[in-house]
Amino acid sequence: MIELNDITRTYGNGAAATPVLKGISFTIDGGEYVAIMGTSGTGKSTLMNVLGLLDRASGGRYLLDGTDVTELDDKQLSRLRNKKLGFVFQQFHLLERTSARKNVLLPLIYAKEYPDDADERAQQALVTVGLADRVDYRPNELSGGQQQRVAIARALINDPELILADEPTGNLDRRSGLEVLDVFKRLHEQGRTILVVSHDQAVAEHANRVIVLEDGRVAEDRRVGQPRSARAELEQLKLEAQS
Amino acid sequence: MRMLRIAGVGIEALAAHKLRTFLMMSGTLVGVAALTVVMAMGKGTERKIMERVENFGPRAIMLVAGGGKDVPGPDLTTTTLTLRDAEAIRQNIGGIEAIAPAAMQRHMPIKAGAAQTQAVIFACESNWHHAWDWYAQLGEGITDDDNAMLARVCVIGQTVREELFPDTDPVGQYLHVGNVRFKVKGVLQKRGTSPMGTDFDNRLLIPLTTGMRRLFNQDHLSYIRIKVADVSQLGAVTRDVRQLLHQRHRIGPAEEDDFRLISAEIIARFAAGSSRTLSILLAVLAGLSLLVGGVVLMNILLIAVKERTKEIGLRRAIGASQPDVFAQFLAESLTVTLWGMVVGVLVGWGLCTVLPRFTPMPLVISWESIALAAGAAVVVGTFFGIQPARRAARLNPVEALR
Repeated sequence: MIELNDITRTYGNGAAATPVLKGISFTIDGGEYVAIMGTSGTGKSTLMNVLGLLDRASGGRYLLDGTDVTELDDKQLSRLRNKKLGFVFQQFHLLERTSARKNVLLPLIYAKEYPDDADERAQQALVTVGLADRVDYRPNELSGGQQQRVAIARALINDPELILADEPTGNLDRRSGLEVLDVFKRLHEQGRTILVVSHDQAVAEHANRVIVLEDGRVAEDRRVGQPRSARAELEQLKLEAQS
Repeated sequence: MRMLRIAGVGIEALAAHKLRTFLMMSGTLVGVAALTVVMAMGKGTERKIMERVENFGPRAIMLVAGGGKDVPGPDLTTTTLTLRDAEAIRQNIGGIEAIAPAAMQRHMPIKAGAAQTQAVIFACESNWHHAWDWYAQLGEGITDDDNAMLARVCVIGQTVREELFPDTDPVGQYLHVGNVRFKVKGVLQKRGTSPMGTDFDNRLLIPLTTGMRRLFNQDHLSYIRIKVADVSQLGAVTRDVRQLLHQRHRIGPAEEDDFRLISAEIIARFAAGSSRTLSILLAVLAGLSLLVGGVVLMNILLIAVKERTKEIGLRRAIGASQPDVFAQFLAESLTVTLWGMVVGVLVGWGLCTVLPRFTPMPLVISWESIALAAGAAVVVGTFFGIQPARRAARLNPVEALR
């Protein structure tokens, strides 16, 4: 699915050049649930942007689904983002004054063909994230966790190969964060490939694999034997609230 | 289809911010409205000139008594233009189809029974009708016999007829000009507005001999109308007549003429004169408001790009390419200006129907003016939309999303 080969990213040039990614190589297979961890300044956001085709690597090779994307132009990259990637951001980035359904439908504007079953698809995506009853709500009528789940539904509308989430729980309380992680877990169980970037150890432990960045390099790449279960933790929270 | 969806995004943004949208389109609106009025004025003036030239007679030269400049009719105190001048022109100058000497008096009181009015009295010969292409609609015109007998007969214009004989057939009835009684023998065809803007139909024709000896008591003429055989000879005949009159009236090169020669060209210039300054003023206003409107539009769009930075970043992330973002903002700009155009044309149209009630301005709305307005709107929308659209398209998505 993803093959990174000695990816570098340097900001500025000449004497002021600041290398942020200093040669990153790893492979992610389809169906994996991977967390990229690191403290701030280690380059994880930059790596996320490169992986999301929002930024270009300064060097190295990036194969997405077998395509070398380092050589593609803006139009081709936009096309790939639309077709193969789904983004979830820390700040949700929903359009205000626009219903959940319309927010979810947004990526279809930029699809080559507008599908006939767009509305059913939006409905389905909202069901998947547990918001079937909030279709016509606007972002300001939804809680933070619900907003983030609308954003996940938006990422799902084009049936992407890869879901990229950048600190998806960063703006949420513990409970809402767990709900979001639960959605990711279920998407993973459906066979989707998920890549979560976070500085939070607790978040990363929900994934099946953790890649730790340190100073622009991969410091650690390990499988998680027993990932944490958001569902179980939510149950636990409920019990605590009752007692 | 995809482009339509993207344009739809821009249009939805307009619908969501109505006040902002109104501000964006106001400049175009005022500019296009002014443009519509200017065009209507231009067109109206053009038509007015054509009508007046047509009414004056495209093949006509008026030799009027009295010097000075350009139009307003003959000077009735000048006594040097005579029938002998008319005869000399007839005999010496070629290319003339008809020549009609006439004497006139303005504002003569006319009475018929209890009704009374004022009109211009023209004393003329039979060929006056041919020289003017203006004939009797009812009864008959002035004849050679009328002139030979100093007959007290008259032919009246349509306005005089309406004033004095609104409900009856005037032919065969009598009226008084001053103290002299005339028998009405005919009614002239309707002719409309004169080159000077007066009513051509408020007139009364009598035989030249009757006028000079019985009514006006004068030997001189007020004007001689010359109709050339072919339009191309207008210049040559005008020159020859001027030369001949200089000779006959003994006018030296340094002296002022005691006559004027008026042709269609001078009539056209006269008719155009009054509305020109206003036209220029309005055209400048239209241009300025389009320009200012464009700048306002551009600034509001630039602010919108700034406000919507995050949204643009998101759109880039979910698959909008740079041209897509560009198209979205250009569509917004063009939609605003096109709406401004539509409303502007309607406002201009409204002004064109209301304004003539307050001023004598001739206004004619034309399809050309609507086409021009549409063109101006597209130019303004494109020109001032490009900069904001380009700025939006060039935003770095990573920074925009931060």
